[in-house]
Amino acid sequence: MINAVLVFNNAGQPRLTKFYTQLETSVQQRLISEIFTLVANRPNSACNFLPLPPLLANSSKSSTPTTPHNDTPSLVTYRHYATLYFIVISTSTESPLALLDLIQVFVQALDGLFENVCELDLIFNFETLHATLAEMIVGGVVVETHLDKVIEGVKAQGTVAKRPVNEGKGGMGFAGFGRGDGGVWAGR
Amino acid sequence: MFEKSLYDLIRGLRNHKGSEKEYINESIKECRKEIRSNDMDLKSTALMKLTYLEMFGHDMSWASFNVLEVMSSPKYRHKRTAYLAAVQSFRRDTEVLMLAENQLKKDISSPTPTVISLPLVAIPHVINPSMANSVLSDLLPRLTHSHAAIRKKTVVTLYRLALVYPETLRPAWPKIKERLQDDNEDPSVTAAIVNVVCELGWRRPQDFLPLAPRLFDLLVDSGNNWMAIKLIKLFATLTPLEPRLIKKLLPPLTKIIRETSAMSLLYECISGIIQGGILEAVEGTTEGEEVAKLCVGKLRGMMVIEGDANLKYVALLAFDKIVKFHPYLVSQQQDVILECIDDPDISIRMRALDLVVDMVNSDNLTAIVGRLMRQLRNAPIASATDDPTHDRGRMAGVVPYAESDDSDAEESLRPHEQKSDQPPPLPEDYRVNVIRRVLEMCSRDTYSNITDFDWYIDVLVQLVRVSPSTKAISTAEEEDAEETGDVGRRIGRELQNVAIRVKSVRAEAVDAAQSLVLVDRRDQMFPASGNGGLGVLDYAGWLVGEYANYLTKPEPVMTSLIHPTSLQLPSRTLAIYLQALPKVFSSMASNDQTSWTPERKILMSLLMARIIHFLEPLSTHPGLEVQERAVEYLELMRLAQEAASGTATGAEHEEFTDPPLLLTQAIPALFSGAELNPVAPGAQRKVPVPEDLDLDTPINPNLQSLLAQAELEGFETDEDDVYAAYTEPIASYTETPTAISAADRLDAPHKEPTSYQNAAEDEYLDPDIIARRKAERKERYKDDPFYIDPEVDRGSGAVTPLGKIVREGNMEVDIDSIPIMDLSFEKRGPSPAGDDHLSRTRSPRRPTRRVEIMGDETLGGDIAASNSSSREATVSPRLNHGPNKAKKSLLEVDSSGLGALSLDDEDGSRKLTRLDVERREAEEAEMRRALAEVERLRGWRLGVRRWLGRRRRR
Repeated sequence: MINAVLVFNNAGQPRLTKFYTQLETSVQQRLISEIFTLVANRPNSACNFLPLPPLLANSSKSSTPTTPHNDTPSLVTYRHYATLYFIVISTSTESPLALLDLIQVFVQALDGLFENVCELDLIFNFETLHATLAEMIVGGVVVETHLDKVIEGVKAQGTVAKRPVNEGKGGMGFAGFGRGDGGVWAGR
Repeated sequence: MFEKSLYDLIRGLRNHKGSEKEYINESIKECRKEIRSNDMDLKSTALMKLTYLEMFGHDMSWASFNVLEVMSSPKYRHKRTAYLAAVQSFRRDTEVLMLAENQLKKDISSPTPTVISLPLVAIPHVINPSMANSVLSDLLPRLTHSHAAIRKKTVVTLYRLALVYPETLRPAWPKIKERLQDDNEDPSVTAAIVNVVCELGWRRPQDFLPLAPRLFDLLVDSGNNWMAIKLIKLFATLTPLEPRLIKKLLPPLTKIIRETSAMSLLYECISGIIQGGILEAVEGTTEGEEVAKLCVGKLRGMMVIEGDANLKYVALLAFDKIVKFHPYLVSQQQDVILECIDDPDISIRMRALDLVVDMVNSDNLTAIVGRLMRQLRNAPIASATDDPTHDRGRMAGVVPYAESDDSDAEESLRPHEQKSDQPPPLPEDYRVNVIRRVLEMCSRDTYSNITDFDWYIDVLVQLVRVSPSTKAISTAEEEDAEETGDVGRRIGRELQNVAIRVKSVRAEAVDAAQSLVLVDRRDQMFPASGNGGLGVLDYAGWLVGEYANYLTKPEPVMTSLIHPTSLQLPSRTLAIYLQALPKVFSSMASNDQTSWTPERKILMSLLMARIIHFLEPLSTHPGLEVQERAVEYLELMRLAQEAASGTATGAEHEEFTDPPLLLTQAIPALFSGAELNPVAPGAQRKVPVPEDLDLDTPINPNLQSLLAQAELEGFETDEDDVYAAYTEPIASYTETPTAISAADRLDAPHKEPTSYQNAAEDEYLDPDIIARRKAERKERYKDDPFYIDPEVDRGSGAVTPLGKIVREGNMEVDIDSIPIMDLSFEKRGPSPAGDDHLSRTRSPRRPTRRVEIMGDETLGGDIAASNSSSREATVSPRLNHGPNKAKKSLLEVDSSGLGALSLDDEDGSRKLTRLDVERREAEEAEMRRALAEVERLRGWRLGVRRWLGRRRRR
């Protein structure tokens, strides 16, 4: 199952924290900064899987995430989009490559909701960000992977607020999504 | 009053660059005020702001009661805010939770789907067993709600309910199963159920076997790759229970592997085949070979052809699962795997490292270790201080600072690749990990893979040089250092191990230790910066002392040991140095073949003067171990000095003059004697209890009166004591320094107490130990009372078992007659581990490589059994700690409660066992308690309300 979903920016500022276990606030913050330290040092050519941060590695004693099936979080998957890092911490019952796709769907859904989504959208609409995640993952279990249904679910809860006008918006033109593009391991 | 919206808060935050902290504190203060207002909008906005700040680590637990207030608002917008706040801020100890119960139940039963979703999503975060019991009845009907979105969320919520309250599954599972079996069910719901079943599956796979046909159909027909991945994962847990499944699964799986365009599905198919034991099951058949070839071939393809780092990573994960059972399949891919050891990506390196540890054999060991060593040597040692901006681990919370450049945040999330592409420096923990793995690979099965020990010693010395610096360890933690893993100490232990076990390279090992100890070579031997690897000195220091006769340069070693810089060493290392000091000294001074010439006399006096000069300040060292040893050897050295100056020298070129006996006989006798051999853990326990050992008869029937007498003893006698202690034994030394005195030294009860006196240990730990010590002192002309046989006349001097052996052994220490050392390889029973490595190292296949490696010594035949049992015995207390709640991993969701619950409705009568009845009764009692508590709190809340109202009116 999925133990936590985190979003933070290139400076380590959290934009979304969702822990599917109750955890002390201070421990949450430490975990975030540990993961940020790990992720910030990675070159772009590196793979999207992180070694376990010290907080998690200590408790499981071994760094091998291969112990088949247990309750311990063993996999930290991330994707980097422009200014934001999306992190998923999960146990071995999740498929590593499918999680990459899941993050992709999450971002695509946000993009669909905000139209050319950027970090500012997520800062000012963090409730929508949570709502989108809640449409995809409930209690650490994936409930929806279909893009349209996720968007539909969020929209059913009310109109999605637009970015405040005076915050401005640089004209961004990006064609398609990066690495997941072309469906190399598209799980859909 | 002006109230801020969330938008204002965020804007303000961005405008208060540099003073965010003050701004946030101010805002939280405002929120505290706003949240107490009667205006629900204001309350809800305040809650939203608090939730936002909570993300940055600002506690909002104090607002939990207000969360409930907003939750009860009829407006959806308010509810949504409150539910989010509850999810984000409620912790295990949040007490108001039971008050939320009614609200949750009410919202679950709401006619509006969006409202139902709120509790469904929140319950997994806040649930506790008593609440689970109560909301269960409201949740169950939601499984048949007309909206698929509600149904799928309910399924998952029920699963989380079951984790804290396994009984949930009794009523819920049949309904969930019904949903799963329904062909007309919405595919989203089916997929959600499969996800849940996959989570449940590995806990109780046997319960899901009856579902196999349906799951199989879903796998073949659904065309949903996400679900197929989960199904394959589930089947991997089912196949070990039902081998017939394998035959059925294999065709669709190979079909997917051959045809699918989705790499994730392809990978999970391979992974499923590996994990489900399918490879083993079909092994030997042509079909099996084909499958194995297909899987391994695809994995290899993922590593080389795709050039995608992620695929490389997961392929290594898969190989890691294969290697234990099919090492040959993996070793065929050795070339590509070894490449990964040098991959610029640390994650991939780590995986490859884990993998090669299991791949290693005597043929590739040198190559693999060589690669790793090169890596360690070529990368600069990075320290955490290099990058202070990233070292935020200790910070209490992250302060959201104003972004300097808004344009950054406006950047579209549609990705464009980052440009910087330089490989990261080796992080410290990776470095430590590599060193550990190297040691692990090399020392595996008592060095069975090592053919060239000279090489290994070189590797060890090199490892010291590339060790990362260790954090300063406080004295309290010092004892744990072995556990926490100062790699320097680990390396040292290996060096010691090799020196002891492999006699043929002992000289080389001691030589390595010598070069490590030498002060003037420290720059070359240790990393240039930091204190990396210094832990090795503990063991190097021991080696140069214990095997001082192997030293090629005893003088420089001595100079290094007593070098002023040694005083800076940690007290543990210093204590070891102090012990090595007299050993090295004795090797330098004990030559009784050369005459006691004036030159020799001067040299010796000088040497002793230097040692004394070094020891003197240490006699007041704060470390007790250091202090004790320093005082002991200081006295010894002073005596030796006296003896040396008192012995007349012979004129040069004339007849032979005997050097002082204290130097040539007495001091060496302190340190020579038994060779130290590795002893198996648990061997001591196997030492037979001597038949005549009588632990029941009181040693001295008058002990009580003796103790009482001891209590009365005054200072005078004590001082006498001290005086005597200084004079008598020493006098005897200088006069008759024979081997007997050394043997007598061995009698000292604290040298070998545990092996013989296990049973006496509790006696030894007696609380009135101080009193007894006084009694001992009084009896100082006799030996230690524990060892006195009551039959023996005390006056004749008691003889300890060890002493007896030594004496009977014709003044020679005959180790073989000491019970614990009576060990032999021949007695070993058929043990897989032991015999294996013996046969391997002694196999005629490679006679040139034969190196005699001493195994652990033990008693009795069955070494394997004794080993395992003793290890178990020593390890088991820890294992018991394992599943302990306290040791539970962070973020872990414990599903162990499910293990006990059977979902098998074949025994559907489901009679209530006594346990069930009791449990239910307990639950009901708890419910009653909880309800009473709710009533109490409600009353309290009303009271508070009334009070607040009154206050407001005033």
